[in-house]
Amino acid sequence: MSDVRVLTTASGCHLFSGCGYPAPSISDFYFKPIFTVGGVAFTKPMLLAVVTAVIILTFFFVAFRKPKIVPRGAQNVGELGVLFVRDQILRQQLGKKGDKYLPFVVAIFFFVWIMNLFGIIPLVEFPATSRFAFPVALALIVWVTYITIGIKSKGPIGYFKRMAVPEGAPWWILPLLAPVELFSNILVRPFTLAIRLFANMLAGHLLLLVFGLASWYLFSLSIGLLFAATSFLLTIILTGLEVLIQALQAFIFATLTAFYIADAMETAH
Amino acid sequence: MSGGGPTAGDRDPSQPRPAGEGWAILSYMIGGMALYGFLGWLIGLWTGLPVLFPIGMLVGLASAIALVIFRVTRS
Repeated sequence: MSDVRVLTTASGCHLFSGCGYPAPSISDFYFKPIFTVGGVAFTKPMLLAVVTAVIILTFFFVAFRKPKIVPRGAQNVGELGVLFVRDQILRQQLGKKGDKYLPFVVAIFFFVWIMNLFGIIPLVEFPATSRFAFPVALALIVWVTYITIGIKSKGPIGYFKRMAVPEGAPWWILPLLAPVELFSNILVRPFTLAIRLFANMLAGHLLLLVFGLASWYLFSLSIGLLFAATSFLLTIILTGLEVLIQALQAFIFATLTAFYIADAMETAH
Repeated sequence: MSGGGPTAGDRDPSQPRPAGEGWAILSYMIGGMALYGFLGWLIGLWTGLPVLFPIGMLVGLASAIALVIFRVTRS
């Protein structure tokens, strides 16, 4: 929660106490900088990104430091995660030839997932991916990757042709369709990839804020107690929903990454 | 692109199509409408015919649907 929000909730603003419901807004997504280095403010979402990277690196280092034939403990969990990404995401799109992109997709999946997961971790309670810059940066990485792979596998002209000329369309309709194909393959793809993740996380966080704040605001020795209890129950249920959505969005992001790579590698559809 | 058999790349045709294919439809819809809508709006601004903006969007939508049909019926 932002500093403004903490002030509002700590001030004891309740139903019938004369102050209105402190509705969550976009200002809840802005934080006071923790410290500033040369004019660049270091904020909570940035800290979360660093923490995410450290968590993932540490976990996979510990899990696969001394790999055993029969995995135990952290290695077991690590293998489960990597195999899930390989079998459910990568091989669905690319088959066995995509295994060399496994590290990339595993990194994307776990980074997005842990970043999302911070939205429901107590005391942190902020999904870093609800700040647009993070999905944009991730989408740009994916964009550069699949375009590089495409150009490598088919050459710049071949790849450009592949991106611009829709398969199976008769030649006379190409002038109309080719711009759409090119536009959607080059520009819309990274855009929707970033927007999808960002909007889902923003909406989810706002939803939790609405009901979380409502349970505090409505809490008073009156009929409000009933409303507060309902609101609190909803907060819990929606937190459960968020867990699903956070994992699902990470899954979709990784799936689309694999799909774009597959699309860039394929010779014909 | 002409040529190529009925199989999709080296994907097993008996397997269901991957989930990414579905998302491609979304990007065609957005891409078609945004591109031709913008073109229509631009030409409409130039010629003083604002009706070209919705017409452009419809053309974009139509070409997006055409693209989806070609893409799906091919393999």
